[in-house]
Amino acid sequence: MMSSTSDIGQARRAVEQLRMEAGIERVKVSKAATDLLQFCTEQAKSDPFLVGIPAATNPFKEKKPCTIL
Amino acid sequence: MCDQTFLVNVFGSCDKCFKQRALRPVFKKSQQLSYCSTCAEIMATDGLHESETLAALRSEAESLKGRLEEERAKLHDVELRQVAERVEALGQFVMKTRRTLKGHGNKVLCMDWCRDKRRIVSSSQDGKVIVWDSFTTNKEHAVTMPCTWVMACAYAPSGCAIACGGLDNKCSVYPLTFDKNENMAAKKKSVAMHTNYLSACSFTNSDMQILTASGDGTCALWDVESGQLLQSFHGHGADVLCLDLAPSETGNTFVSGGCDKKAMVWDMRSGQCVQAFETHESDINSVRYYPSGDAFASGSDDATCRLYDLRADREVAIYSKESIIFGASSVDFSLSGRLLFAGYNDYTINVWDVLKGTRVSILFGHENRVSTLRVSPDGTAFCSGSWDHTLRVWA
Repeated sequence: MMSSTSDIGQARRAVEQLRMEAGIERVKVSKAATDLLQFCTEQAKSDPFLVGIPAATNPFKEKKPCTIL
Repeated sequence: MCDQTFLVNVFGSCDKCFKQRALRPVFKKSQQLSYCSTCAEIMATDGLHESETLAALRSEAESLKGRLEEERAKLHDVELRQVAERVEALGQFVMKTRRTLKGHGNKVLCMDWCRDKRRIVSSSQDGKVIVWDSFTTNKEHAVTMPCTWVMACAYAPSGCAIACGGLDNKCSVYPLTFDKNENMAAKKKSVAMHTNYLSACSFTNSDMQILTASGDGTCALWDVESGQLLQSFHGHGADVLCLDLAPSETGNTFVSGGCDKKAMVWDMRSGQCVQAFETHESDINSVRYYPSGDAFASGSDDATCRLYDLRADREVAIYSKESIIFGASSVDFSLSGRLLFAGYNDYTINVWDVLKGTRVSILFGHENRVSTLRVSPDGTAFCSGSWDHTLRVWA
């Protein structure tokens, strides 16, 4: 009989981990998705890529470069 | 399984039950004892019990995995893109390279923005780590590491230091000084020690702690000042390639991705894995939290990016196209989380509508693999680094 104590230890840890993961509280995808949407919509107005910052204020757009006075 | 065909030639007191019986030799933990046949049989079945326990544990693990999938499936009542139908489609995007940072002598492997939204640190295969002013494209600092393949670099929250590492298996912190007489390399502090290459590093909310990921399969949290290991995170079955810290409002967790195709979410205080996701078909090269902290995206060698919602505990979107066959090396969200920028090994950057699951733009410009990509802290631009030795700032 080979020494299987380390295998058992590993198997026990795997089972404990899975038990813990199986037991967490979950939310329906419809609810989670709605929340993701809501966050996006609320934040959209402050997202420079969505709103489009005019060349004058975006330091990377070259039309009117920033000068540090 | 035990064939014990020993000749019974001893009669005496059994070592276990002490009754006067015909005895046979028995080996327990390499010690020879003499048991009567009854006790010998009991011992043999004890051994069986042990292997039964292992088999029982393994089958319990399998059934738990099945139950996990069932629980997740029960809540899968709708797809994200269906819920997103009521959201307005995005308009056309004009994104161009606004700056090209040239100066690395070999493949750019990693980059990070400073919180001042203007400075960038980048690291390369040739061992050089450079700090740039992205507005002017000037190089402000440069240091040569003692190793090649500096795969990870990070800017400290204060902007006063950088961390980097790679094939040296370490993560070192360099304070940034503007004193021309000071040699940056002289003040170097070795913080993390792994037993294999450093693949990713990130400061936590302060300059005092660093989180690292390594080819040795573990992640670790270190105190910068003392170099002490504060917590280690074991669970990945292969090299860990990437990590990302949760936005500070959501608490002390981080997500990591590895060559075992798993993305794992960890509690930084306990060192425990709290959630794990295994839906990718190949190495996960990059993970990034959604700005709200309730989800994260991953980019993989299987040519897809995926979105995992932490509260639903499942994958909720896949970003892929039949025409995209090269791995995604690096992903990041725009400020609102609506856009996902992903750099690929086919030299392109694809921009995805996170909610609807469609691609909104494809950006060309790099002349080799895109290896790293980060959106600036104020969301006005993003920077990509490539094996073509350059970095590009897009806006």
